[in-house]
Amino acid sequence: MTEQAGRWTWRLLRGAPLRPPGARSEADFVARCIRCGRCVEVCPHRTLRPAPWASWAAVGTPTVVPREAACWLCLLCPPVCPTGALEPVADRRSVRMGMARVNASACYAFQSVVCRTCVDQCPLAGEAIRQDDQLRPVVTDRCAGCGVCEHRCPVPGSAIRVEPFRRAA
Amino acid sequence: MRPRARRFTVWRRAVQASLALLFLALPAWNAAGHRAMAGTLIALRIGPVDLVEPAAALSAALAARGGTIRLLVRAMPLALLALALGPVFCSWMCPWGLVSEGLDRLRHRGGPARSGRRDRPLRAIALGTCLALSLLLGTPVAPLLAGPRLLTSLPLEMVALRSVPAVTGLLLLALLALEILGPRRIFCRALCPAGALAAYLRTPRTLTVITDTDRCRCPDPAPCVASCSWGIDPRRVSRLDGCSGCLACIDVCPTQALSPGFGRSGPGLPGKEETCDRGESARVKVASHSEATCRGERADAGRGAALADAPCGSRCSDSHPPRRSRDLA
Repeated sequence: MTEQAGRWTWRLLRGAPLRPPGARSEADFVARCIRCGRCVEVCPHRTLRPAPWASWAAVGTPTVVPREAACWLCLLCPPVCPTGALEPVADRRSVRMGMARVNASACYAFQSVVCRTCVDQCPLAGEAIRQDDQLRPVVTDRCAGCGVCEHRCPVPGSAIRVEPFRRAA
Repeated sequence: MRPRARRFTVWRRAVQASLALLFLALPAWNAAGHRAMAGTLIALRIGPVDLVEPAAALSAALAARGGTIRLLVRAMPLALLALALGPVFCSWMCPWGLVSEGLDRLRHRGGPARSGRRDRPLRAIALGTCLALSLLLGTPVAPLLAGPRLLTSLPLEMVALRSVPAVTGLLLLALLALEILGPRRIFCRALCPAGALAAYLRTPRTLTVITDTDRCRCPDPAPCVASCSWGIDPRRVSRLDGCSGCLACIDVCPTQALSPGFGRSGPGLPGKEETCDRGESARVKVASHSEATCRGERADAGRGAALADAPCGSRCSDSHPPRRSRDLA
């Protein structure tokens, strides 16, 4: 019961969830999304999921929960959106879903353990995330926020998290 | 007279069932890599053709405080369908309509439904609330609660989540409870925003049921009224009754007095009845006679009415020209 309430509160405080590629700013996206489910249907990786009750007015809108399933930047979803909630994206390098952030106190590479899972798995290999001279991961501003690093991180609960972009409307 | 085959109902069931099967198969088809078709009933994409249900489009335009031309173009096909044929979206296409009709059949076997006129205020309130909430909450509430979306999105969400989706599942359970415990077909008739908007798009030239008063001779618990799950008397149907064009009344009419047609519905419209009082009563009397005596008498009655009250007679013949001209010829 308390755990459930805690999870709800956390979801409420966490703010905007991670959206599919090409999504408008959060308020604009929620205003335009008619929950038709096309993006959810065409997603070949079953990444997009309808938002649960706890997202209040945004219930039913597509979200990405990277730890469960990350976006592989196939870009099939933006063209199928009927209302323009998802805008067309030219290529995977211009996707801006969010920005990954490394939690240094949890990351293995920061504890002198050799781990380069996030660097190896990144779909924008060598561009969005690279290793510094001490072999620690560094996220660059080319990060698309797809969440593959968060999905694949071997640390329990993930040492790298994608923070959704808060674009101005 | 021998009743006609239930031709419209047979076609309607075929269309409803194929669309229901399509939406059941679509998620699996997409999961297998085919992308020619995708979506739910409120927004279906068939190759290059992109359809959006008008209430959903309007709701999204209100929530976003401004629609786009592209959205308007995509909402046009279904809006034009409603303008031409009325809310056939509900009776011919919507899988929730099929479920609702099935449950209604189980609950009430052939009894007359609550009068359709009582739905009018409720329909206005329901659609108004949905659109006002869209504006206030900044999110399209109409498609969120629409039965057609919920039912057609259930299979795709089940495929995506690999389990029963909580939100869609619970909303569908609520609809099911309303269907079983509430007044007959109340959700489809009055509460569904998609159906309500389509009902309001009806024009005086939209497809409706035309009554041939010469043939209409059923006593008062008429089979057409009993067949209408929307509680409409097809002989007195008016624009705001919400007739969804299922044409079940035409199928059950034993005298073939009802037919689908564009233009003004039956002569029984309130107001028109008063102006055409004399001609009307003459024809009703004729209808109770046998076919042979009827013919001569009707011509007399018609001529008499025309002589006695020319403007009234002409107005009556305006309301159902095809039958009259054929009868006179």
